Amino acid sequence: MPEDHDWEAYKVPPTRTPVVESTASVPNPVSFVQTVFNYVIDAPVTFVREWIERQQAKNKFYYYHQKFRRVPDLSECLEGDYLCFFEAEAQWRRDRMVDQEIVEIVRERVGACRQREGPNHLQNCAKEVELLKQVTKAYQDRYGDLGYHGNARTCLMKQKHRMMEERKAAQEKASE
Amino acid sequence: MAAMSRLLRAAAAWAARRAGGTGIAGNTGISGIAPRLPGTLVPVRHSSGHGKRMFIIKATSFYDTRFLNLLRFYVFLTGIPAALFITYVNIFIGEAELAEIPEGYVPEYWEYYKHPISRWIARYVLDPPEKDYEKQMALLDIEAKKTEMRLMELQARRLMRHRGDGPWYHYETPDKNLVDNSMKSTPDN
Repeated sequence: MPEDHDWEAYKVPPTRTPVVESTASVPNPVSFVQTVFNYVIDAPVTFVREWIERQQAKNKFYYYHQKFRRVPDLSECLEGDYLCFFEAEAQWRRDRMVDQEIVEIVRERVGACRQREGPNHLQNCAKEVELLKQVTKAYQDRYGDLGYHGNARTCLMKQKHRMMEERKAAQEKASE
Repeated sequence: MAAMSRLLRAAAAWAARRAGGTGIAGNTGISGIAPRLPGTLVPVRHSSGHGKRMFIIKATSFYDTRFLNLLRFYVFLTGIPAALFITYVNIFIGEAELAEIPEGYVPEYWEYYKHPISRWIARYVLDPPEKDYEKQMALLDIEAKKTEMRLMELQARRLMRHRGDGPWYHYETPDKNLVDNSMKSTPDN
């Protein structure tokens, strides 16, 4: 079964709409529709679902998220050591997936904040937006233009170029 | 209805006149073994309410229906048992729950999957990922050693060809004592 969203993650503050005392003589048809829905659809479905959960609760079993050990990086591998390259490459790909998920989570946070605040989003979500900006800039710096065939080696070369640029900029600043 | 019968009667009269007119005064239309013209009226029984039975000429659908029947049969032959089995597993066994890895416990490699059928396949059908990893590393190692051997072989070939002091590129030449120099022994030949 597909997973539901985690309702606890983005807590919406309780609504502050006041309870309205109805002064009209005609009863609200929405409440009638709600009771019909409750009896016709909601109750049977909930009953079946709870029956299924009772059957499944008889023998529970769990699954875990795998924790991988850290292996030497590509920069610590000797030349020609293809096994070291292979392990470093696998580790780099896992790290890249983790970074993609991090960016995705920060994006979702900004979206949730926007939805929550409504018309005040420009003012109240500034922190989340700033965080997203920093995170995307960092991701772009590290994995940015490597392309589809980017691997650990091209990423290392990009890092090397970045460090050279930084050193050149620092030198120019120091010589001013 | 009345108009139709009037039209049909008019058509019958016209056809009878065309056929030769022997039946106009006497009997009620074509009889016997005379050839029937198209459009002549013949006595027909209409089935009650459904109208005249027609032989509708259309292209055969025998092969199409046969194909679709066979397709349905063979798809459902394994599809229905598979669907029932998967429904049973999903309802009565259910998916695993996510939990934190307990202290000091190393989960088995199949305990990283959620659905019970995936867990079963990972446990009994596929190799553990550690073994897969080792197999990949072994292949890489073999290929790396092969590359190294080939490079060394090329290097040895090159050096032996240049220097000429090795067992390869050893071409046998005849002994210089066997060469006949008699035609060069006198200068005036």
